[in-house]
Parts: sequence; C-alpha cells; structure tokens
Amino acid sequence: MTEKLSPFHATILIYMSQVGMGIFTLPRLLAEQFGTNGWLVLPIAFLLSTLNILLIAIVYHLGQGRSIFKILEQSIPKFILYPLYWVLIGIWSATGCLIAKYYIIVFQMVAYPTANPTIFKFIVDVLLFLLIIKGIYNIAKAATIFYWLTVPLLLLMLYYFKDFEWARLTPFVFRDHHMSVSGASNLYFNFIGFEMGLLFFPYINRKTKLIKSLLVSNSMVSIVYIYVCFITFGFYGYKHLSTIQFPILNILAYIQLPFVQGTENLFYGFFLFSILITAGMYLWAALETTHTMIRAPKKLLALFLVIAVFVIALIPDTLVEVMNWSSNLGYLSTGIAIVLPVLLVILLLTQRIRGEIT
Amino acid sequence: MNRHQIWVLLAVVLLCGCGSDERIIDKIGFVQSTSQDLLPDGQLKIAISVPIANPEIKEGREFLQTVAISNKVGQMKLARQTNLKLVSGQLRLILFGRSQAEQGIWDSIGTYYRDPTVSETVKIVIVDGDAASLLSKDYESFPRTGKYIDGVIAKESGEHIIPKTTLYSFLRDYYNDGQDPIAPIIRSETDSVAVQGIGLFRDDKYVGEINSEEGIIFTCLYRSFKRGEFTVNLTEESNKIVSVFFDSLQSKRMVKLVRTNPGNPEIKLHLKVKASVVDYPGELTLSNHGDLQEFERKVSEEMTRRGNQIIKKLQALKADSLGVGNFVRNSMSYKDWKEMNWREEYPKLNITCNFTFKVKDYGFQHRHH
Repeated sequence: MTEKLSPFHATILIYMSQVGMGIFTLPRLLAEQFGTNGWLVLPIAFLLSTLNILLIAIVYHLGQGRSIFKILEQSIPKFILYPLYWVLIGIWSATGCLIAKYYIIVFQMVAYPTANPTIFKFIVDVLLFLLIIKGIYNIAKAATIFYWLTVPLLLLMLYYFKDFEWARLTPFVFRDHHMSVSGASNLYFNFIGFEMGLLFFPYINRKTKLIKSLLVSNSMVSIVYIYVCFITFGFYGYKHLSTIQFPILNILAYIQLPFVQGTENLFYGFFLFSILITAGMYLWAALETTHTMIRAPKKLLALFLVIAVFVIALIPDTLVEVMNWSSNLGYLSTGIAIVLPVLLVILLLTQRIRGEIT
Repeated sequence: MNRHQIWVLLAVVLLCGCGSDERIIDKIGFVQSTSQDLLPDGQLKIAISVPIANPEIKEGREFLQTVAISNKVGQMKLARQTNLKLVSGQLRLILFGRSQAEQGIWDSIGTYYRDPTVSETVKIVIVDGDAASLLSKDYESFPRTGKYIDGVIAKESGEHIIPKTTLYSFLRDYYNDGQDPIAPIIRSETDSVAVQGIGLFRDDKYVGEINSEEGIIFTCLYRSFKRGEFTVNLTEESNKIVSVFFDSLQSKRMVKLVRTNPGNPEIKLHLKVKASVVDYPGELTLSNHGDLQEFERKVSEEMTRRGNQIIKKLQALKADSLGVGNFVRNSMSYKDWKEMNWREEYPKLNITCNFTFKVKDYGFQHRHH
C-alpha cells in the first residue's frame, strides 16, 4: 500500500467516470426540458454538484480519511448493513453494465444493425474485467491515456463554429420548456461519478488532495458540457435540437470527407475509452463493496461480478429498453450520490457526539 | 503476457462471427442520388442513381425508377428491381421535382431525417421540371449524372452564386420560427445541367425563386462570406451601359433593427462588400481617387437597388429566406413574439438594405484617356 493516487490521476479518473453516454443526448435533453438556451441550466447543475462534492469533503474531514465501510460498520449492525451493501452493489454494477450496453446498442444501431450485440458486450465485459482486476492505480493510469485519446474530439467541435449563429440562440431563457423531475434527474446523472471519490479514501494520502481533484474534475466536466451544448444550440437551434435523438452523433456526422461519409462511426469508436472507464469505475465500486463483505481474492469476486453483470445486461435488448433502464438506474445512482454522503455525515456526527472518534 | 494474447485472439475470432452484417462491396449498391416527383394522380415517382464499378456496364451507373404512394415504399420497390443491396450511407443528393416542391417536401425530408444512415450533409436540390428525367439523362461530356450535379452544386455554392444548402440547413431553418429554408434550383438543358437560381420556401413549400444572376446579391443579404464573382451594369455619363466584372468578393453582413414607434420595427441590412475589379470598360479612371470614389458610389447604388428588389420579392412571397424573423424575434419579449403572426407581419415590415462597396484592387489596368 505504498502507492497512492496522484492529484492529477485522481482528477482525470473522476473526470472520465463523470463523462459517459449522457453527453450524446445531453443537448437534446436540455433543449427538450429547458427550451430556449437550455444550456444555461448547466452552471446551475455545476453548483449543485459542487455542493454535493463538498458533502464528500465533510465526510473525508470528519472521518479523517477512514474508509467509508469502516465508518458504516462502526455504527450500523451488520445485519442491517449487509443488505444495504447488496443494494449498493446491485445499483452500481447494474449502472456500469447498462452504460456499456447503451454504448454497444447505439454502436450497433449506427454501424452493425443486425449483428448480435451480445458478442460486443462480451468483449467489452472482458475488457472491463481485465481493467478492474488491475486495481485503482492502474485504472487511473489507463484513464489518463484514454483521456488524451478523447480530448481531440473536443477540438473537433470548433469546426462547427462556421455554422454557428448567435441569432439562432435567441435571447430567451428557458422559454418553451417542459421541465420534469425525470429530466432534471437525467441531467444530474451526467454529473455524477464523483461519488466514487468516497471509495478512494484508503487509496490516498494528504498529498492526493482528493477534494481539490473532485472539484477540478467537476469543473472540467461542466466546462466541457457547456462548451459542447452551447455550440450545439447555436448550430441547430433549440427547436430542431429537441427533435434529434443523439445530437452529438449527428453533429459528428456533419464532418464530410470526400471519400467517406458517416464519420460519426469513426469518432464514436473513440468514445469506447470513456465508456470503459465510466462503466469500469462503477464495477470497481461494486467490487470494493463486495470485497468488504466477502474476503475472497478480488480477481475471483471480479469474475463473478462481471458474469452477473453480463447476464443482467442480456435482459434489455432494444434501445428503448436500454434507455429506460439507464434512466431508472440514473435515479438510483443519483440517489446514492446524494444520500450516501449525507448518511455518512450523520453517522460521523453521531460518532463524534458519542465520543467514539476524536 | 501470454494470457492477454489469448484474450486478444479470442476477441478477434469472436468478432469474425458478426456474419449477419457482412457486406460484400460488389453486392452493395451505394445510392448516390435520388429523386422524387409528384404525379398528377397524387402518386410519387421515385428514382435512384447507383454508381457501379463494373466494366461490363457502360454507363457506370444503374438508374431505377418506380411509382409509389410514399418515398419509403418507393425505395423498397426499387430495392426489388436490382441485384444489389441498396444502402443510403453514401447518399449525396436528393432531387425534388418542382411539382413535389410546390406541394411541400416535409414528409419525404422527414424520411431521410429519421434514417440514421443518411448524412445531414446530403444536398437538397429542386429541379425545374421532372427530377427523374433529369437524373435519368446521361450528359456525355460530363461525369456520370449524379456526381455531375453534385459537382455543379458544390462549385456554384463554393462561388456563392447559391448558398450552401444541405439536409442540415433545411431542417435547421424549417424548425427555426424566424427563418424559412432555401435550396438551389436546377434545370436540364440539351446536353448539360444548369443552376437556375435559389428556390425559396415558405415552411416546406416551394413558392418562388431568385435567378442565378441575382444569386450573389442574395447570398450577400443571406450571410457573410468570402470568395465569389459578379457583374454589375453601370450607366455611364454618356448613357452607355457597361458591364463591370468583379471577383475575389468579400462580403460582411450586419443587421440593424430600429424600433421607432411602438409599432413594427424597421430592419436595415448593412452589407460591406470588397472586391477586385477584373474588367471595367467604362469612362472613369480608377487610378484617380475622385473617379474611384464615384465608381464605388455607383456600384454601391446599383447593388443596393438590386438588393432591395430581392427583399421586396421575398416579402411579396411571404418567404423569410434571409432570416429577418430571427432579429425581430430577438428584439421582442417571448410573449409578444408568440402572439405575433410573423407570416402576416413580415410582408408589411420596412426592410431595406444598404451596400457599401469598396474596390480592393483593379488589377493591372492603370490607364488611360
């Protein structure tokens, strides 16, 4: 346990867990739910997620860097705690596998309409397995490489400025909106991933400056979202945008090369890296939780987990089902991201009052 | 390490199993262009042109047409006429006959929009006449027809005779409540295809056109751009009319909205145009500063006159092709805009343009008199 996460690696790792499939539908979600200039809701979401991260900061501070499982086990009897753990494992692993499934089913739609997605899913799951058994430090290193592979895609967005028009943005804010709780939750789902920070406590020391990393990565994510959505709004106009299923796929397809059309297939492939980390981190979180209960070798647990996940992902097999599942899991994961730190803060405060910790 | 290599090998083997999506390029027909006409009985005539790289087929393409009740049904009927598997991933051109365009093209546009394999960069083109017969013809001195039309449109929009319009821009302007779409209009000549002008739409219905001589003036009013050439006729002191030829055009558009009374706003389009004089056979000496200013004033005046004519025409057709509505909308509250019937208010508005022309250079002529 000599190796510790460096601030840079921690930042990139969290960033990569936050950015997932959501970005492909995010501009449409904003146009649909918030209407004109819907991208302006992103700074609000940024503030909320920052508050959420500050909750994690309080947990870290009050818990003095103790693992959250130790904090929980100190106050809650195991017969209550273990079912709770299983719920966490269920939600995290299902979220991870659904993200991967979502990626695959969209990939299949644009590139291989009749191929069996199960084979793709199997290969991705093998990659996920190989990734998570390497442990957090190596996942972080992989994330860093993957990060540099996906950054050029962001520069691509500059290409669309030539068809960007300010007049198309309109001066109206959130007019013609159809806000809903599910919409807001789906939006927030694009920001979560930082709750993984809760599980980093045993793997860091003061030098990691975890909270700073979380805040920086959350800012990076927000900047990327604002940048992408702002351009998309000026490129399409909110009304048109609200009718496009995957605006980012459409916009990527807009780049035309003389010899090849359908450039989005090419660019979409790069996104696999981001998806691997997002899905991988949720599986890793599930694995960590399993490991606190079952003291078996991590590789073996990981194998069971990945097999379970593979089987779960077989159930939804159409795009509509996958989107519904991932939206519902989005609620649950969002719930965890908010409730878990709150619960931990309450526990830590009671422990402090009772004098169980100094 | 060895274990990993096995995994990779396994992945490769498994990937080869995706046989149901196997595509053999010789057996695929990449539809390059498609056309649609409305027949008098309400049926649609759908045609496609598929390039073929088979030396046995002299034309180098397959042309198919059919009659059906909808675009999609037509495409399915066409698929049964050929030994190739038709795919639309390489579709570059969608032609609509005038008959169809006048009745509205939204239904068919929607079909292409929903098809994930059709790119948004597909060009939408209106044919003055029968689109299928234009597409069916082989123009001997040019590349095969679909590619030829695509090339003509690409070149003309590169020179800004016509604005670049694609499925993307059509949808974008269609959904925008402050703008109407446009698309180039072409016609078939004896042994070539010619760009006739810019087709104007009201929502999805073709309502009129700007002919190609006025195309560049229209483009100036439409957006800022660089590159292009145009001619202006000037009346000289001696009442003689001379044609001046310009190129290397640079045009910058600014839209000013002035609200004088509580009533409707006034819109002024300011166009700053710079260009090189290629040929001016007239009486003014451009190397003389006074004459140059006089020349610039005359050109500006002439362009302004032509620009205002275009605007009047657009207003008469109730087609907001320039997107004036964007600016009007952006100057009002959302509620007022929604209560306003833009389609009816638009023709009543006072919209004018004002060109300021500057000579960038006048070539090698340093002359005379």
